[in-house]
Amino acid sequence: MIEVCDLHKRHGNFDVLRGVNLTVKRGEVAAIIGPSGSGKSTFLRCLNGLESFHQGQVSIQELTFGAETPLPIRARILRQVCQRVGMVFQSFNLFPHRSVLQNVTEGPIFVLGLARDLAEERARKLLDQVGLADKIHAMPRQLSGGQQQRVAIARALAMQPAAMLFDEPTSALDPRMTGEVLAVMTDLARNGLTMIVVTHAMRFARQASQTIHVFGEGRIIESGTPEQIFEAPRLEATRLLLNEAQAA
Amino acid sequence: MEEDADPSDFSAKSRAQSSAPIPSALHPTRRLLVRLGFWGLLAGLVFGSVSCGRSDKDTLAQIKQRGVVRYGSDKEGGGPYAFPDPDAPRNVTGFEVELMRELGRDLGAKPEFSQGQWDRLLQELSADQVDLVINGYEWTESRARDYLATRPYYVFQLQLLSRRDGPIHSWEDLKHPNPAGRPWTVGILVSSAADTFATEQGGSSLQVVHFDGATDAMTAVKNGQCDATLQDLPAALFYKDRYPALEFAGKPVGHGYYVIFTRRGDGPLRDALDRGINRLIESGSLRRLYERYGIWTDAQNELTDWTGAAFALKGQSGPTGLALLWRYRTSLFDAARVTVILSVVSMPLAMLIGLLIALGRLYGPRPVQRVLATYVELLRGTPLMLQLYVLFYLLRLPPWVAGIGGLAINYSAYEAEIYRAGLQAIPSGQMEAALALGMSRWLALRRVIVPQAVRIVIPPVTNDFIALFKDTSICSVITLVELTKQYSILANSTGGVLEFAVATAVLYMAMSLPLSWFSRWSERRFEAMGSKGVLA
Repeated sequence: MIEVCDLHKRHGNFDVLRGVNLTVKRGEVAAIIGPSGSGKSTFLRCLNGLESFHQGQVSIQELTFGAETPLPIRARILRQVCQRVGMVFQSFNLFPHRSVLQNVTEGPIFVLGLARDLAEERARKLLDQVGLADKIHAMPRQLSGGQQQRVAIARALAMQPAAMLFDEPTSALDPRMTGEVLAVMTDLARNGLTMIVVTHAMRFARQASQTIHVFGEGRIIESGTPEQIFEAPRLEATRLLLNEAQAA
Repeated sequence: MEEDADPSDFSAKSRAQSSAPIPSALHPTRRLLVRLGFWGLLAGLVFGSVSCGRSDKDTLAQIKQRGVVRYGSDKEGGGPYAFPDPDAPRNVTGFEVELMRELGRDLGAKPEFSQGQWDRLLQELSADQVDLVINGYEWTESRARDYLATRPYYVFQLQLLSRRDGPIHSWEDLKHPNPAGRPWTVGILVSSAADTFATEQGGSSLQVVHFDGATDAMTAVKNGQCDATLQDLPAALFYKDRYPALEFAGKPVGHGYYVIFTRRGDGPLRDALDRGINRLIESGSLRRLYERYGIWTDAQNELTDWTGAAFALKGQSGPTGLALLWRYRTSLFDAARVTVILSVVSMPLAMLIGLLIALGRLYGPRPVQRVLATYVELLRGTPLMLQLYVLFYLLRLPPWVAGIGGLAINYSAYEAEIYRAGLQAIPSGQMEAALALGMSRWLALRRVIVPQAVRIVIPPVTNDFIALFKDTSICSVITLVELTKQYSILANSTGGVLEFAVATAVLYMAMSLPLSWFSRWSERRFEAMGSKGVLA
């Protein structure tokens, strides 16, 4: 479903990504862990075009684009990618000038061209699903961080995406809010949504994902099932990472 | 006011945390101070004007003591009265300048030229800025009521000038309807004798268009923007060689006297000037001076047999106070309407152009960015008045088009920078979130970025609107009679400086206050709708 082939990206003289290969099957939940600065977020943002890359190719369903794809064509493909792949950000990025309901209906109405009443019906269902049925008329600033992140998830789901990208969705939250957001994500995982989750939440990675990829210095250094990674990591670097996460 | 914007606890907190402080409505006490300031200004205007026209001190004695006599004049009015010396452009020359040199001898003082705007010279005199005014000022009853006039130093007539290849060849031609279906347009120096003459003698087939300088009007006729211009004969004689496309249309018309004005209490100064003028007439040096400038006419013989009878105050003194305002209310309201139309049409245009420029500078391709940056710098770096001159005199646009277009283009540069700042204040995560939803860049701007930027820029844009509103007065240089110009015209022709100043100030306030209210209302509306801290 998602296939990434030999992705390279440079920032000036610094190689952010140095040949990343990754395959995610339909319904698979892939967790990406790794130390800060190892290129996890940059990699995720390359998948939907928020970052460009210098070499390599990305296929999402039948949409394929590479570093060589001419800009206008790539832009058109990326818009389609974005319509099929939702993204959730570390800092939520809700639209502060629109209510919770409007945040969730914005995409369906203005991108998909859905009728307002249909979009609102869909939004109500999703907000109910993430436990915010009573907040639909609130403004984002009136919500806690955890509530805002759940709205952001609903906003992405409202596009009925084939897959979802999560970019450290709980890093800006305190433990209690982290729990409520991870609960929603675990739900989604159980329902068979294809997900790539960049995270530091090791327990979530262990319990909800099928595959874990460990990033180090711009490439994937180790991949495996949660059991393999957590019980018998191949590399010393992975062991250190897991220990640090436990200590924290 | 701001307290009831949003009473919830949360909003107060987020306001305190917001790192982008949005200036809200003035604090009540500060608002009070602003009002006090306004009334103080009015009071100053009142007392300043009441004391005008009188003088407790003996100006003549002061002049002798100082050894300098300051006279008000305007170089912009041009030759032959007072103009930059072609051989030494930093010096001023002209027949009146030379006349003052002669009269300075009678006063025992060195004359000092003081530049002022022609139609405000008498107000400068009232405000003690100068000792006297000499600049082709005609004796009129209303002026004679407020100031002391000397005996005339020149008998002037008015000369009509028109294009050689045009339809107008005499004053009489203007009385026939224009075949084009509109009135004939006649360019006239504002508040001059020609202004009075054309208004009184011209029929409905004639429309007066006001200019600040004699040559401006002649240029407009040459350009075909006016059908003719009525000029004081000396100016017409002086400039006729420079405008070969123009001809003297018919014989001179009208008849009047240039006099020197002093303040009401300055009888001794006036008498000394009278003696000086008398001496120059009798010695024949006045005639020689005028002949040198090519402005001696037979009409000047009247100066020799001057009795003063022509200066008898005939009619009743005109109305003052509210009665005066009532009489000229339609003129004031017409001018106020011009001000309003100029500002409410040009500002939305400026905002629209400005927004497009800001978007182009932030999101457009590199070459477009560079062109737009140049556009902004060019328009910010040159005065609005100059831009209006270019549009009107060089591109020859009609006054309304030049005025509205000039204001819109000039202010678009400022609006563009405000929008640019507003757009850049929106965190990049907003654009990313919109793109990640599958929006195009343009849709993201329209739905997500611009609506958030708008609320940030409301206060500075309102500020600019009020500034533009007052800058409409600059459009008077391209013949649009807006409120400030009308004030000047009316104050001059009636002497009702105080009345019209107060009325004009009140009109301006009455027009700009709703603007401030609207701004505060929209700010509150936006706040109630959404984020106080856009960055939160």
